[in-house]
Amino acid sequence: MRIGFLMLRYPPTRMSNILPEVVRLLSEWGAKVDVIYPEEQLVDLSQVRVEHDLCILKAKTDLALSLAGVLHAAGAAFLNPYPVSMTLHDKIMTFHVLQAAGLPTPETYVASHPDQLTPLLDEGPLVVKPYNGSDGKGVRVVWDADELHDAPSNQEPLFAQRYYEPQGRDRKIYCIGGQIFGVKRVWPARTYEQKLGEPFTITPELHNISLRCGRAFGIDLYGLDIIENNGKPYVVDVSSFPGFKGVPDAALRLADYIYSAGQRVLNGEPLLPSQEKEVEA
Amino acid sequence: MKAVVIGPGRVGCGFAGQLLHASGYEVVFVSRNETLVKHFNQVGRYRVRLAEARRSQEILVTGIRAIWAGEPDHVAGAIAEADLVATAVGAQSLPEIAPLIAAGLAQRRQPTNVLAFENLIDVAPYLFGLIMLTPDSSSLAQHGLSGALVSRAVTQRIGDPAKDEPLLFVGDPPATFVVDGLGLRPPLPKIDGMSITENYPAMVLHKLYTFSAGHATTAYLGALKGYHYIHSAIRDAEIRAAALAAMREGQRGLAACYGPELAGDQSELQQIVARFENAALNDPIARVCRDPRRKLGADERLVGAARLAEEAGILPHKLALAAAAALCFSNPSDPSAAKLRREIETMGPEQTLRRVSGLDPDRGVGKLVAHDLGRLSSGQCRGNLLLSLEKLIWSWTA
Repeated sequence: MRIGFLMLRYPPTRMSNILPEVVRLLSEWGAKVDVIYPEEQLVDLSQVRVEHDLCILKAKTDLALSLAGVLHAAGAAFLNPYPVSMTLHDKIMTFHVLQAAGLPTPETYVASHPDQLTPLLDEGPLVVKPYNGSDGKGVRVVWDADELHDAPSNQEPLFAQRYYEPQGRDRKIYCIGGQIFGVKRVWPARTYEQKLGEPFTITPELHNISLRCGRAFGIDLYGLDIIENNGKPYVVDVSSFPGFKGVPDAALRLADYIYSAGQRVLNGEPLLPSQEKEVEA
Repeated sequence: MKAVVIGPGRVGCGFAGQLLHASGYEVVFVSRNETLVKHFNQVGRYRVRLAEARRSQEILVTGIRAIWAGEPDHVAGAIAEADLVATAVGAQSLPEIAPLIAAGLAQRRQPTNVLAFENLIDVAPYLFGLIMLTPDSSSLAQHGLSGALVSRAVTQRIGDPAKDEPLLFVGDPPATFVVDGLGLRPPLPKIDGMSITENYPAMVLHKLYTFSAGHATTAYLGALKGYHYIHSAIRDAEIRAAALAAMREGQRGLAACYGPELAGDQSELQQIVARFENAALNDPIARVCRDPRRKLGADERLVGAARLAEEAGILPHKLALAAAAALCFSNPSDPSAAKLRREIETMGPEQTLRRVSGLDPDRGVGKLVAHDLGRLSSGQCRGNLLLSLEKLIWSWTA
């Protein structure tokens, strides 16, 4: 089994050991694992070939995404599929898919100029996010028009959602192969311990929402950010292959899942096993 | 020399057939699968891969033939001419093949030996009883009959005979087996890896209450925690500790009953765990969990080991936990698991425990299992998984 990880090299200060441990376990189990850092090499496009039974797109940089696109076009099997990773890289597309699937999201708006968002502030604050951001970077709660205009000026679309003040800690929900894991953590999490949070047993409602999200995108390796306001949960972010921090035995579970996905590829079976059928819309 | 092997499955081909071929036997398989029979008669060979983490060895087994079990006269003729008969069909299928064996043995003038490579306590008396139930069986008692205790785990068959793909059986390297010297008749067969014991029942229990108990503990707890493979589950610290403790409980019961030498020691348990870690076997949890109803039997790997430990004055907490996890196992495509679920739903867990395992849920081992089952049932439902055995944290509430 040959597995290729498209990765971004993390700084040595990074505390999480999950991905290196996944790579170590898969190698120990006999898989040939190549970790590829697209940012650190010269790529001759004419030489790009599908060399792995299974590719995993972890890095979400422009270069990694483009290289994944080249490999996808050449027939590489990606976990998750490349088009889904691209969709999840774009919050405008992501929230369209979520809303079309009937999942609970805050009211979501897209604008090209801050003035277009100003009237919405009459109804309450907004959360403005980079439309292609991740890890909470650049996320601002905006209460008035002045704050709207404080945003860095660039040509990117403005992505805004109605702000619902979270009640209690943030809820991260992770899915590994259809298995759902809940982690509570403070926001913003600053220390490694805060990022680990603590596992919690999720409600049937959140379980149902989580599985429906996976089904909406056709993936089973993802993370959700949920906030709860007045007893109602809202999906505020979805990510493909998140960090899984706080999931018990995360590295072992990820390696187990990736190994089983690799076996399905080798056996000529569909990459995504059939999802739970009893998920209610 | 000719050997007839009834049941060309994982053990029949990946162990018995390979060793018989290596020992100079011409091997004839008997199968109820016509496609497989046709395939073997066309290609006359298969491969066995003995795999460890980074090393593997492939052995070619050649010169084989096969007979369809639907032609009993043909099968009987082959058995009549054979120097040895072996079975590897699974316990449930023994009643089906007993008449075939009886018909073949009845045509013989010279006694021969039947080796049952079956994972079943008391397989020899059971199969003997089935054979003696057939008409005109009076002359059959002259033949030898013994269980054969297999050391190798053969976990996979790769290749589809319907597509004429070459067949490959994957197992781990151990190549020894033990037979019951009291059950065999001279001349004794000479087969690579075979050793003869006069303490066969104890040897069976030793394997069942250590290796099989640890395997089952790893698998049923692994299923609760959502792992796909034995080699993954055994790396979960909670499961590894539970599997080692369950095997240790089994050993302590064996030591009290048969002495410490037969029971084995801690180093043997570490070797067993190392075998579970062997990812080259690619052993799915679902395969090892199969047929929980039989594996929960009163004398079987979990409950039997727990009862023996209890007799030795030990409270078998981890064996009981594994038995409770087995009672939670759900797989609609496994008839045994589906039947177990129906029994629990209709009769309740306590009555099921009485019926399937012969345990009193108010006393001893039965009470331990019932207690653990109560704890596990609190969060158990289809699709849910246990995040922590110790803290009993479930993924979601039903």
